[in-house]
Amino acid sequence: MNRVLRLVVAASICLSLFPVRGQAQQEDSLWWNRSRSFVVPIGDVTVEGRRPMKEIGVQQTRLEEPVLRNHIASSMAEVLTFGSSIFVKQHGRATLSTVAFRGTSPSHTQVAWNGLKIQSPMLGTTDFSLIPSYLMDGATLLHGSSSVSETGGGLGGAILLKSAPSTESGFGLQYVQGIGSYSTYDEFLRLSYANDRWQVQTRLLHSLSENDFHYTNYKKSELIYDSNHQVVGSYHPTETNRNCDFRDLHLMQEVAHTLPNGDRLGLEAWYLDSRRGVPMLMVDYNDERDFLNEQRERTLRSVVSWQRLATRYKAEARAGYVYSWQAYDFSKDRGNGIFTELIRSRNRMHTLYGQGHGEFYAERWLFTATLSLHHHLVESRDERSLQGEIYDRGRTELSLAASARWSPTERLGLALILREELYDRELSPLIPALSADYLLSKRGRLTLKGSLSRNYRYPTLNDLYFEPGGNPELNPERGLSYDAGLSFHLQRQGRYSLSGSATWFDSYIDDWIIWQATPQGYWTPRNLKKVHAYGVELHGEWLWHFARDWQLQLVGNFAWTPSINESDPSGAYDQSVGKQLIYQPEYSASVGAEIAWRTWRLGYKGNYYSERYTTSSNSNSPLGVVAGYYVCEASLEKLIPLSWADFSAKLNARNLFDREYESVLARPMPGIHFEFFLGIRPKWGKKRE
Amino acid sequence: MRKLFAFAAAAALLFGCSESENTYTTESFQTDDHGLFIANEGNYMAGNASLSYYDPGTQSVENEVFLRANGHLLGDTAQSMTLFDGKLWICSNNSGVIFAIDPTTFKEVGRITLPGPRYVYFMSSTKGYVTQLWDNRIAIINPSTYTITGYIETGMNAAEASTEQLVKWGDYLFVNCWSYQKSILKIDTRTDEVVGSLEVGIQPESVMIDKNGKLWTMTDGGGWEGNPIGYEAPAIVRIDPESFSVEQRFELKKGDFPTELQLNATGDTLYWLNGGVWRMSVHATELPAEALLSSGLSSSYSLTLNPKNEDIYVGDAIDYAQNGMIFRYSATGDLLDSFGVGICPGTFCWK
Repeated sequence: MNRVLRLVVAASICLSLFPVRGQAQQEDSLWWNRSRSFVVPIGDVTVEGRRPMKEIGVQQTRLEEPVLRNHIASSMAEVLTFGSSIFVKQHGRATLSTVAFRGTSPSHTQVAWNGLKIQSPMLGTTDFSLIPSYLMDGATLLHGSSSVSETGGGLGGAILLKSAPSTESGFGLQYVQGIGSYSTYDEFLRLSYANDRWQVQTRLLHSLSENDFHYTNYKKSELIYDSNHQVVGSYHPTETNRNCDFRDLHLMQEVAHTLPNGDRLGLEAWYLDSRRGVPMLMVDYNDERDFLNEQRERTLRSVVSWQRLATRYKAEARAGYVYSWQAYDFSKDRGNGIFTELIRSRNRMHTLYGQGHGEFYAERWLFTATLSLHHHLVESRDERSLQGEIYDRGRTELSLAASARWSPTERLGLALILREELYDRELSPLIPALSADYLLSKRGRLTLKGSLSRNYRYPTLNDLYFEPGGNPELNPERGLSYDAGLSFHLQRQGRYSLSGSATWFDSYIDDWIIWQATPQGYWTPRNLKKVHAYGVELHGEWLWHFARDWQLQLVGNFAWTPSINESDPSGAYDQSVGKQLIYQPEYSASVGAEIAWRTWRLGYKGNYYSERYTTSSNSNSPLGVVAGYYVCEASLEKLIPLSWADFSAKLNARNLFDREYESVLARPMPGIHFEFFLGIRPKWGKKRE
Repeated sequence: MRKLFAFAAAAALLFGCSESENTYTTESFQTDDHGLFIANEGNYMAGNASLSYYDPGTQSVENEVFLRANGHLLGDTAQSMTLFDGKLWICSNNSGVIFAIDPTTFKEVGRITLPGPRYVYFMSSTKGYVTQLWDNRIAIINPSTYTITGYIETGMNAAEASTEQLVKWGDYLFVNCWSYQKSILKIDTRTDEVVGSLEVGIQPESVMIDKNGKLWTMTDGGGWEGNPIGYEAPAIVRIDPESFSVEQRFELKKGDFPTELQLNATGDTLYWLNGGVWRMSVHATELPAEALLSSGLSSSYSLTLNPKNEDIYVGDAIDYAQNGMIFRYSATGDLLDSFGVGICPGTFCWK
């Protein structure tokens, strides 16, 4: 019996060592590959289904294909809003959107695409409205300490995005066209080819929108004058979302090749060309036609990789390059139709990336080591101002991580990760993370897990060098966090799958960097705050085949996230101590429900954020609070399989109940609006499959 | 199956139905003859500027009175206030609007929209001037009809153009040019043309006329090494308006950043902020050695004097992200009162 168990454990460990193959199996379930139905088969639970060793103690949320491929117009900001409990702060539709884990700030969220860091080295944040979810083949959210296994600096957590070529054999083509409210047009084209050795895929996504939705502007009143210029009445005007039109083009090229010895080579390149209007505040009385106010971005991200998988080890090397050109232009019409250029801001960023990674399995042990390098070169200028150059700097970020994971018994898993980071010449203190899990019950895979880590986040290039105000004397932010929780997974073959988790987390961040005004009139960052963020995260998921060809899926996420400023007061009248951080909801939740019947699918998603304070003192005045809100959307989708091609049609209704809400004060969000998508996928040479 | 759909629909409706929480309820106000308006700038691009009103007699304060009286917001970055012709004019700089309100009820009685208004000066009930950011012109307005009637070209490069405070001297207006500038402009109000320019130092931030008819300004010196306009010791400068020339410069320490130069009601004493409250006679020949008030004013942001008794009011922005405080001192420097207002209390106006 023991021998059998050892074999089973060894098998499960080996499975965990082959993520690429696992990914391939997962991709087979994508509808564009083979499936002709939305009803997903449910397998049986086996002991092999135990958590892989790499995931010992890990608190993570996985966003799978149905969520990411909701429709081609969906951004990662929307996916995270409706598919997790982390806070997504949106400045409007298709406008700057940042995410924050567990009561931290957006700069505490590390983001990587195929291993390459993609958050701005200038700001430390990522605009998730510029990441189309349809181009991603997987997204993993690592909460708190769990991020240390992948990267340093994720005081809140990390988001790992992955894209890879399709493994569908032969030629593949998919084209989807969408049309929606506010003159929104989306197009997606995928071309692919795969055989035993090669997988090649090209994806193109183009989005265009006037984004000119109407809303009642409660922040303004229009005055009604009589002939003597006396005010005789007023009303809240219905206004148009102004200067928010956008055009985004994404081109993604992926190539994978398997060498005769089994090694895999890969290339992923992602080009973005975006032009977006900069939205006007609801309290802006200017005429948008008098201004040119827009931002443009052209970014190329590319990664090449080599990977070797063997029975007892895995070796991987990656290299990458990012070039990003960002422009912000502000011009004003003096009334004669001729625009005077006032700001011509240009940022040019180059990032070189290299990574080596190795894994070695020995009996009940798994050892990993990763060395990664990111070298940033950033030039920031305002070519129109007297100042000209803002800064022209480079920085090398080197990170070395080693881990040992041990599964001394079938039920127990222990992991120790040690990370060391070098930022230019500054060596971080040792970043340790310890995690463990214990299988309390095989029935239901009831698992107790926990982790503990110390972490550091280094100042961004803007923090250090921005002129005026950059502060080279800044210290890194220091975080200490731990979490503990329970998870379970019940499953009955062909009938249902029920899983859930509950996690308590607690984290302390010292030397939190805050930009604050100076007497000289400019702003400068300082290590000012000490924050205690803690709370609970809950997740539940139920997949139920309640009748033949029918499937119901329910997903829910909830987070309670007090994030409290525990700094010393800046003076006798500082009322921010002991208060919730600005724009941090204490409660957040998302729900999803989906009913599938053969080739039909009806979906519903909702998201709730509790009120957010706009002041550090948590003033309850009308200006001090942005009201909490619940918004939802629904969709109906149909696959139409014909002999020569598969068609798909989808209708999506967003903000289903026409809720008037704001994510950020004085930034309008759209009411109910619709999108309709039509897709085609020819079956070249596959009619008889 | 029907039950399942009914349940799903009910749940969706339950989660989805709610009323808008974005409307603001309005209130009626009726205030006394004497009081202090405080315009709280709010944070740039946050849309959270607000107006407070303080009654020194009862030592009571009402906050967000513009919103509470009118049901809409004051806008983004409230920059300045001017009381004229029975109306309080509030420049909401980044909202591109000047609101005119009844100073007793706080109800809006009119507005003028124009990009980036900074300060307004009224010549009469039919003519006023508005300085602007992002424009190298000074707008001429008719406050009776709430319209723009013309512009004065300043000749500055538009990208660095900056005109700020205005003060009248005979038929002329003096205007300080602050951001990336060094000069004070002289404008003939009969022709509405710039007739002179005087370089006084880096970034003059205010203008005022004392009881002797002398023009005063304060330069901030640029504030930071590397400022493309230059970096020098800030100064308080006395100018003879007749000859339009500098009479005397009172240089402060390089690295200081003085702000909020104010004159008392009798026009014989200057006050300013520089890590505390400083005071100097207009007849002084050198700067004072010590501040009048210095303790507990770490984030002092604004300054005014009660024209009736010269009580000193200092606005404190604290951390610039929470509601600020106002500290009221007697003319001798004793703390008389303190009260909370809105974010970044930046400017005052006495009624």
